[in-house]
Amino acid sequence: MSRSSTLVQGTLDFLLLKILSVEPLHGFAISRRLGQVSSGVLQVSDGSLYPALHKLEQKGWITAHWKPTENNRRAKFYSLTKLGRKNLARESEEWDRLSNAILTVSQLKQA
Amino acid sequence: MDPMGWLYAIPLRLRSLFRRREVESELDEELRDFLERKTAAGVADGLTTEEARRCAVLELGGLEQRKEDCRDTRGVRWLEEFLQDISYGFRLLRKSPGFSAIVIFALALGLGANTALFSLCNTVLLRALPVQHPDQLVVLNVANEATDAIRSFSYPMYRELRDKNTVFSGLIAQAGAEMNAGYAGESEKARGELVSGNYFETLGVQPLLGRLFTQADDERPGAQPVAVLSYEYWLRRFGGDPAIVGGKLILNNHPMTIIGVTPPGFYGTDLAQATDIRVPMMMAIVFRPFPANRLQNAGHQWMEVLARLRSGVSRTQAQAGLDVLYRQIHEKEIEQLPARVGDYRKRIARSSHIRLLPGSQGLRQLQDQFSHALVVLFGIALVILLITCANLANLFLARNAARGREIAMRLALGATRGRLMRQWLTESLLFASLGAILGLVFAVWLQHGLLYFLPASERMNLGRATIDPKVFGFAFVAAAATAVLFGIIPGLHLSRSALSPQHGDPRLAQSDMSPRRFRGALVLLQIALSLPLLIGAGLFLHSLRNLKTIAPGFEESHVVLASLNPSLNGYPPERTRALYDEFLARVRALPGVRSAALATGVVLSGGWDAITVNVENYQPREGEDMNPYSNLVSPGYFATMQMPIVAGRDFDEHDNLQSGNVGIINQSMARYFFGDRNPIGKKFGTDSSTPPDIEIIGVAGDAKYVSLKEKPQRHFYVPVGQQPRLFDMTLHVRGSGDPRLLVSLLRQTMQRIDPNVPLYNITTLAAQLDESLSRDRLITWLSTAFGVLATLLATIGLYGVIAFSVAQRTREIGIRMALGAQRYNVLWLVLQQVVLLVLAGLALGAAVSLGGVRTLGSLLYEVQTTDPMAFVGAAAILLGAAALAAYSPARRATLVNPSIALRYE
Repeated sequence: MSRSSTLVQGTLDFLLLKILSVEPLHGFAISRRLGQVSSGVLQVSDGSLYPALHKLEQKGWITAHWKPTENNRRAKFYSLTKLGRKNLARESEEWDRLSNAILTVSQLKQA
Repeated sequence: MDPMGWLYAIPLRLRSLFRRREVESELDEELRDFLERKTAAGVADGLTTEEARRCAVLELGGLEQRKEDCRDTRGVRWLEEFLQDISYGFRLLRKSPGFSAIVIFALALGLGANTALFSLCNTVLLRALPVQHPDQLVVLNVANEATDAIRSFSYPMYRELRDKNTVFSGLIAQAGAEMNAGYAGESEKARGELVSGNYFETLGVQPLLGRLFTQADDERPGAQPVAVLSYEYWLRRFGGDPAIVGGKLILNNHPMTIIGVTPPGFYGTDLAQATDIRVPMMMAIVFRPFPANRLQNAGHQWMEVLARLRSGVSRTQAQAGLDVLYRQIHEKEIEQLPARVGDYRKRIARSSHIRLLPGSQGLRQLQDQFSHALVVLFGIALVILLITCANLANLFLARNAARGREIAMRLALGATRGRLMRQWLTESLLFASLGAILGLVFAVWLQHGLLYFLPASERMNLGRATIDPKVFGFAFVAAAATAVLFGIIPGLHLSRSALSPQHGDPRLAQSDMSPRRFRGALVLLQIALSLPLLIGAGLFLHSLRNLKTIAPGFEESHVVLASLNPSLNGYPPERTRALYDEFLARVRALPGVRSAALATGVVLSGGWDAITVNVENYQPREGEDMNPYSNLVSPGYFATMQMPIVAGRDFDEHDNLQSGNVGIINQSMARYFFGDRNPIGKKFGTDSSTPPDIEIIGVAGDAKYVSLKEKPQRHFYVPVGQQPRLFDMTLHVRGSGDPRLLVSLLRQTMQRIDPNVPLYNITTLAAQLDESLSRDRLITWLSTAFGVLATLLATIGLYGVIAFSVAQRTREIGIRMALGAQRYNVLWLVLQQVVLLVLAGLALGAAVSLGGVRTLGSLLYEVQTTDPMAFVGAAAILLGAAALAAYSPARRATLVNPSIALRYE
């Protein structure tokens, strides 16, 4: 397993779900999107991406479909399932609470 | 996991299992697609294709590694590996078919023996009555100062208990009845039972056909001539014809309407009894006509009573509640006893109280008789299984030693110890499963064989002792436990030794002492466990031999027995007597008949009538047992049985109702009541209210009456000629030639006199004697077979260890011989190991035996459990077997050629 990930345990799953909630994407696109949306702050190694996706798929939170792409190739597109949406909503709330709390604490320190 | 998650997960997992290739190619495609896109992106950023691709792979961290990570997420890895292990196991199995066959066969023997005995225990000891909620049933029992197991109740007591108790939802009564069943002009003896009207309802039995009688059918004496057939009887006698319901059956000369058939498998409340026909209790006036006041007399106890607990009432609560009621009723009965009943008997009666025994298995007669023997045999079978395990562990150790290189390789390639253990366990489970399957086949055979050791009359309901789910469960658990035992021991050992520094070379790995010592310990264990089995077998053989040398007091060969009961056909007393006289006269005239006689009792066939006697000039102590057995016999009985008349004379034709009462007593009775004095001419009586009136005219030799094991019993005989009424009698015929021919002659003779009087219980005295030893034979032969099997297994194990160690030490022996060791030195080198192992095994075994054989005590006849002969004999057999096992490897060792042995390297 690549050790470049600086993410908190469980964060990757949340990020993947969030990205897939917008539109179905294949693995490479997800990797790119991750870099873009976090303006390169959140670096996810390619090595940990696929196992994470497969784990989410096995848990039934995301599902995969093969779709044709440009120049006659096909790619595996992942999309959120109902169960995935439910869990995303729950985790969003959790993250909001957590990040608010962290924010509050960090501002306290500045003052 | 979230339950909804399974909705997605299950199809995915099934797909990963069964569409593995597809899933794999998709994974490959997905990752390759990623790499290509990443490479393309790199090229777009200005890298060369090679550089971009290298970066992409590097960032992914290796294609195959990521694939493994993805496979891990599928959650079916353990199952995949398990399947791999199984196919690997099958490959190994095929690779060494001889080894596999031995292992599977040994397991099948061990597991089969255990399964068969478990199945027998299950049928006899564990299985509940075939009724609804058998766990709610209780058996009523009365205990008092003199005895604690009176299971007979009078009808008035039953009725009172039934109507006044508050603890039962139903109280039923039953009693056996002799029946001659006539249908379409053919008469046949049937096993009948009188049961209370609420019997079927309380037990919760539904009819297979027609209806079963109810309380309404059992209200007035003799008013409801209805009968219910058992399924087996219905099949046997009427070929399963449903039209029989509503038909008439002539039972004891009485037309009875067949109203229904009970379902298959329902045998009533006693596993040892197979009842053909059940009739309402109120029909007792037909089926048990004497005494005529049977249903009114509180002093006549003749019925067994069972009850179903009301829901929510425990057995103890019910017992407490019922006892109060019982004592009230009983006290009233005692007050009404005639004045001549002594105070002692009244005191005993007053001490009576009721006990409720668990009734889920009904009367448990067969269970009580066989439980000890079965439990002992089951224990022996378990020991055999343990020995088998030790043996197989040994075999596997030897085989695994040859796999040292493979193991080392796998460990080097990154296999974990746990993973290897799992594989070994899978292999041993594979062997155990195959062994268990074959073992089940053995078990079925063995069980059929075992059942034939039981007397025919007692296995009637065991015929269906089939392999039910419980037995399957047992076989499965036993196989799994066995697999763990013989799989994990070598596994544990191997993974330890494989990790040791010399694991590269299997030969070197074995030169390490510990596996040899370990295998030695397993052999020691086998010897230690075999010893008690051999000792047990020796004790049982000795006991059976003792039983066979018991002089029964009569000559059993060439005697045919046949019972009849014309009174059941409605013969009045005078005609019954005339029929018996005529039958006897005709039989005596048959060719080949040397002598013939009639008697009410048959030796070694079960119970006897014990009759209270008073003897002239003999004042019994309070509570003294004054109830010798009695038998009603015709003249010629003693000659037919070849029981000696040691003093006085036999009965003759002149001893009849017109002459004075006479009797013959046996030697024990003579000694008990008269000591050294001559009993001839003295008198005894059977009615305590009158002075003794039976004159003793002879003394007969003692015999065995109930069982061969019994101590001498008091016994007396009175002549049939002086009985006002005769009921069932058994013809005893001593003849020469084939007993089967004699039987058919007897049948023809009876046919000519009256074809409606059936002969039943036809057998020979020799068979009767033989059957009385059935339990002893069962346990003796089984324990002997098991002892031999155990010795064989231990010997093979010992041989394996010695042969292996000699092979390993060839070089060492060669060096020793080169340095001048003589053949006897080498011999001693090998034997030393054998002697140590065997002696240690025997010492341990003797300690185990001393504790173990104590449980056999009551199963043995005139053999001490510490019988030195059995101990020494068993040890000698094991020593001999060990010598045999050691002989060929030891010889091989002495023939080692030093120059060849040293060149071996």
